[in-house]
Amino acid sequence: MTTSRRKFGLFSRQTKATNSLVVVILLGMLSAILLARWIDARNQRADPALEDEQLYVTASAARRMSLGFNGLIADWYWMRSIQYVGRKILNAQQNIELDKLGQLKLRLLAPMLDTATTLDPEFMDAYEYAAVVLPAIDVQEAIRITRKGIDANPNAWRLYHQLGYIYWQEHDFSAAGDVYGQGASIPGAPVWMQAMKARMAAEGGSRSTAREIYARMYEQSEDDKVRDMARRRLMQLNSFDEQDAIRKILVAYKIRTGHCAQSWREITPMLRAIRMAVDASGAPLDPGKTPYILLTKECDVQLDYQSEVPVK
Amino acid sequence: MVSLVLAIARNAFREAVRDRVLYNLVLFVLLLTAAAISIGELSGGQERKIIVDLGLSAMLLFGVFIAIFVGVGLVYKEIERRTVYSIFAKPVGRGEFLLGKYLGLCLTLLVNVLIMGAGVSLALIYVSRGWDPLVLRIWPAVLLIYLELMILTAVALLFSAFSSPALSALLTFFIFIIGHFSADLKSLSTSMQSSGARWLFAALYYLLPNLANYSFITQAAHGHFPRTSDVMAAILFAFLFVVVILAAATLIFSRRNFK
Repeated sequence: MTTSRRKFGLFSRQTKATNSLVVVILLGMLSAILLARWIDARNQRADPALEDEQLYVTASAARRMSLGFNGLIADWYWMRSIQYVGRKILNAQQNIELDKLGQLKLRLLAPMLDTATTLDPEFMDAYEYAAVVLPAIDVQEAIRITRKGIDANPNAWRLYHQLGYIYWQEHDFSAAGDVYGQGASIPGAPVWMQAMKARMAAEGGSRSTAREIYARMYEQSEDDKVRDMARRRLMQLNSFDEQDAIRKILVAYKIRTGHCAQSWREITPMLRAIRMAVDASGAPLDPGKTPYILLTKECDVQLDYQSEVPVK
Repeated sequence: MVSLVLAIARNAFREAVRDRVLYNLVLFVLLLTAAAISIGELSGGQERKIIVDLGLSAMLLFGVFIAIFVGVGLVYKEIERRTVYSIFAKPVGRGEFLLGKYLGLCLTLLVNVLIMGAGVSLALIYVSRGWDPLVLRIWPAVLLIYLELMILTAVALLFSAFSSPALSALLTFFIFIIGHFSADLKSLSTSMQSSGARWLFAALYYLLPNLANYSFITQAAHGHFPRTSDVMAAILFAFLFVVVILAAATLIFSRRNFK
């Protein structure tokens, strides 16, 4: 009798424990499902029915496929693209500007930057690299990747600046102006974005517009290579102004003497008069502090190929 | 009951330390040191982002391996060594035993994650040559990684309550993969023609944890903080899911016959 009561007690205790566990499981699952629905409702897009299917892997799909390691894989593609460009430049054994790499046939660069930005849609430096380097290789890809960046980061005004730069390089000043205008309307965008819109409409192809674009790029970029490219382009623009001034002096000298200047010494006082820096031999110095070359037959001036200032 | 659970948890932690589980930290430190020193030349100015991505991804990867491979052995080892008999000869319930084992491994993972988080912070200070705001901004992502590992540990423990270690490890790994594809299960549940299939995928979606909600590494590398409500929801979901899984594991384990 006592044994059976004890057995019954044990059985009843076990049943109670089992029932409690089943209740915990059911209640817990129900709460977890309700919570999951609440989280989903918060993360849902405005109207999923309007979302277009896209041929390339979407950022969210890529993130899922990478099991949460998407940032690391994006970094891997980024480093591969940097190494890819670096190797090509080294093999070419020339000093080529970052925005003039078309001759290197970098056909893998666009897919690599595209993958990096798909895996990490906030990878601003990858978008910037695409905007600066890709136009010389495949301008449509440069535009597509930058527009993808704008779609993923609609409040990043820097991307509008980069897209405007691509259109400006393509001499599509109207599109560039539109893009700068859109970027200027973003809260927090600098005032000069609006000024760039007006400038594109009025004097898109001018040297002063180019100077403004490269100056802003130098200020805003966090990538050392892009900043260096912008600095050298600014030096080139200053050099264009200097060469124009030197040419005027050379023409004036020829009119006055009837022949071209045979050495810089002959026009050094005039160069000093317009506040040009000259070296000990009287030769004018370019913005990279390398003396200009005097073309005595043509009455002209040109940059030394050793100069830091880009020739093209 | 609490003291019993804590005693089992302490022992599970000690066992993990004796099994040299924390040796993975040496590998982690070597990886981060090598990355911090060499990344400058390779990264094109992205050292900080890459250190965070690499450090937190390694934290997740190492943590997943520990959660799976140590988690599936927690119960099995006790049965294999027959120490389970001496434990259950004492007034220890099967639920208490499982909870203690679970908390012990969670403690091991916590130590692991904290040391790795400190390692990433130091590597950031090294590459930034001084204080970096990212040092603080990575910690919400670290917390979410830890919650993901807690969920996986519970899943590993559930499978190990009725299955062999190899199969448990495989099944837990599948849960880890499917958990990151959870959104696809949901879209399948809405796009399938047959209502049966729709119900099946909807059930799978709600039964399996959506681990994508715990992925914040990439955003942390850009210096973003998650929304507080998202973190709170993630904590609450992890708690509920772990309670359900441990209750199910206890239910299964309590019916298991060791004879």
